[in-house]
Amino acid sequence: MRYAYFPGCKIAHHLPAHGMSVEAVCDRLGIGLVREEFTCCGYPVRHESQDASVFSALRSLALAQRLGLDLMTPCKCCFGNFQHARHQVSQDENLKLRMKNLLDEERLPFPETVRVHHLLQVLDESLDTVSKAVTRPLRNLRLACHYGCHALRPAAITHFDDPLAPTVFERVAAATGAVPLPWELRLECCGYPLRGRDESISDLLMAKKLASAQASGADVLVTACTYCQLQFGRGGGIPSVLFPQILGLALGLSPEELGLTPDAPWLCRLEKE
Amino acid sequence: MDFFSIGLGLACLSFVLGLAWRVHGRPGSRLPRPSAGHGRVNRGLAAGLADIVLLRRTLRGGKLRWAGHTLLLLGFLPLLVLHAMDGIVTRPLFSGYEPTLEPWQSARNILGLAALAGLGLLAWHRGRRLPSLSRFQDWALLGLLASILLTGFLLEAAKMSSPADFERMVADYFPEADSEEFIALQAHWARENGVRFERFLPTAQEILEQGRELHEDRCAGCHAATSTAFASRALADALPAGIVLPRTVPPIFWHLHVGLSFLALALLPWGKFLHPLASPANLLARGGRRDSGFPASALGRNLALEACTRCGQCSLHCSVSPSRRVLGNADILPMDKLADLRSWLDRSLDGAPLADLVEGSHVCTECLRCTQVCPAGIDLQDLWMSSKAALSEEGRAGVDGEIRKRSAGEWARELGSRRLGGVGSSGPGLADRAESFWGCVQCTTCTGVCPVVAVSTDPQRDLDLTPQQIMNYLRMGLKAQTLGARMVWSCTTCYKCQEHCPQGVPVADILYELRQLGAGTLRHKGKP
Repeated sequence: MRYAYFPGCKIAHHLPAHGMSVEAVCDRLGIGLVREEFTCCGYPVRHESQDASVFSALRSLALAQRLGLDLMTPCKCCFGNFQHARHQVSQDENLKLRMKNLLDEERLPFPETVRVHHLLQVLDESLDTVSKAVTRPLRNLRLACHYGCHALRPAAITHFDDPLAPTVFERVAAATGAVPLPWELRLECCGYPLRGRDESISDLLMAKKLASAQASGADVLVTACTYCQLQFGRGGGIPSVLFPQILGLALGLSPEELGLTPDAPWLCRLEKE
Repeated sequence: MDFFSIGLGLACLSFVLGLAWRVHGRPGSRLPRPSAGHGRVNRGLAAGLADIVLLRRTLRGGKLRWAGHTLLLLGFLPLLVLHAMDGIVTRPLFSGYEPTLEPWQSARNILGLAALAGLGLLAWHRGRRLPSLSRFQDWALLGLLASILLTGFLLEAAKMSSPADFERMVADYFPEADSEEFIALQAHWARENGVRFERFLPTAQEILEQGRELHEDRCAGCHAATSTAFASRALADALPAGIVLPRTVPPIFWHLHVGLSFLALALLPWGKFLHPLASPANLLARGGRRDSGFPASALGRNLALEACTRCGQCSLHCSVSPSRRVLGNADILPMDKLADLRSWLDRSLDGAPLADLVEGSHVCTECLRCTQVCPAGIDLQDLWMSSKAALSEEGRAGVDGEIRKRSAGEWARELGSRRLGGVGSSGPGLADRAESFWGCVQCTTCTGVCPVVAVSTDPQRDLDLTPQQIMNYLRMGLKAQTLGARMVWSCTTCYKCQEHCPQGVPVADILYELRQLGAGTLRHKGKP
């Protein structure tokens, strides 16, 4: 299994632990990550310009297609924008023509065949391998899995999971031996898209989610998206942890290899059990 | 006062004044104070030195540029120190030094050729990889250095073939020569060292032999054969036979060579010409680090702002280069953005160029790549993040900030009379097509599931319009009335409205489109 690995822009500086843990986990599971100098997925510029956003996405897809590989990203927003961009060009012949011309200037192919996967889907497809590779089941660790909007909705475009009753995250999380819990606001927005735009609403959305996760009795809130983690990392109360970090612990990797601070209270509780 | 003293004096004055202006430190900088970088200590002196001496960061960007730069430095620096400053460096260090002796003659030629070859590689690279990113000063620096080197070779070639220089030297070092000895010496130098004389010279063996003996006796102690200056000699020999250089030619080349060198010294503090000083200083300060936030000091930041070599690596590798191609704003790419950021910090940027800087600042995704590839080690990430905050602080928060400066009603009045086009150039957008809304029964499901509406106690007051109201306005053709609504700009893009709409109205896509339309409208407003 090899994928063109698309980390997205925010990992290198803002969330290096995400990149570290994804790479460590994939290495342990034998998932090959092929590097390419990708450009932005186009999600951040989507508020400003449709063409800039769609071209950004297609250019990276074209680079993956040139490698002859499917693309895998650990970020829900990157995933969503790739799917959106493809949907938009499929609906608009003029847009498609403009994009083809831009790609032609760099002698890049129009990305017809390349498929986009989120890390969770890749793990879900080889759930048996994941289960077998777990050396240290995280029994009794209760998880509140946060879905993230941009992969989930609109399902007709993103094709991630059932938009009203998704299960993929809990299924993969259960493979670590931990216990995913149902919770009221699991499909709601983290609020990150309003960071720097409308801080007060962003804070309110985040606080509501964190309170709901806490009320569910979970030990940690689990994310599978760079932006969601950046948002919850600012909040207090229930700790927010990246899913590849949880999975990495179950695979026997050390907290340091996963970019975790070893003295985090929830980790100490894990050690005792 | 002669040409040399006046030229050197003016060049030094320009250098000192320019440098003082350049490093005055931007008192009262507009950037927020750097955060104290997690108590990290600089232990990277050796790494910084290695970056400078071996050009390690340049090598990471490509072998060709590294080879060109290395050749240029290996050739030019020794010439600068040992040749241009020979009176104060070489003569005191090497007893018996004469610029006309070996190994100095051949060394000058080897070094000059190496430097020229390096310049050639750099120019070739720039022409191939960076044609659209290059500006006048980029070509000017390459051209100036090449001109200094070329005039050096031309000067040496002219002097070795010039009868005037021969006569001057005979007058200086063999004043008692009689006319017979003079002719014999001329004959020897014409034959062996390529001097061209206006007069016919004897070729008889005994006269040439006499000339050789006189040469050994009076000249050879201070003058090696001109063939050791092989490149210049080849140039001199390339003159068609029978052509004698006018006596004015060597002084012309001398004035050019020295004058251009003074010009380079005078220009050193200006623009990218400072990079031979500023970039190594910045590399030393960075101590081999390629992450951001170090050194966390205003001084370090000022140094970083000056260290750009305009090599274009940041812009070639920029993550948002596709946006640059679509939006056409040069300030989306780091290299040009840095130049405009400097102007803004120096309070000399306004109007459309400032709008470009603000847009570039907001399109940047802070991916760190430019910081990692910069051969001068500039912490661009820190500059982008701090300047984005500083621009917002001064009311330049991009499209979103501009929209929020006025109420929805004010925008409706301003935009009501305007023809608002669609997004992109694909014709009418979702918001313009009746088909988008014909299923809408105003059931308020979109409003009911909206998390942004849910955190407000009074959506009408806080958000101007609810999603369902926006759909209603749009199907009535009242697009301008919706464009400034806070609901449009504070949509968190969760797509619940669209997913839950029982009638298939693409609510969230329409809100996206309205923001794109607002951004496009402001762009065109900012640029006539």
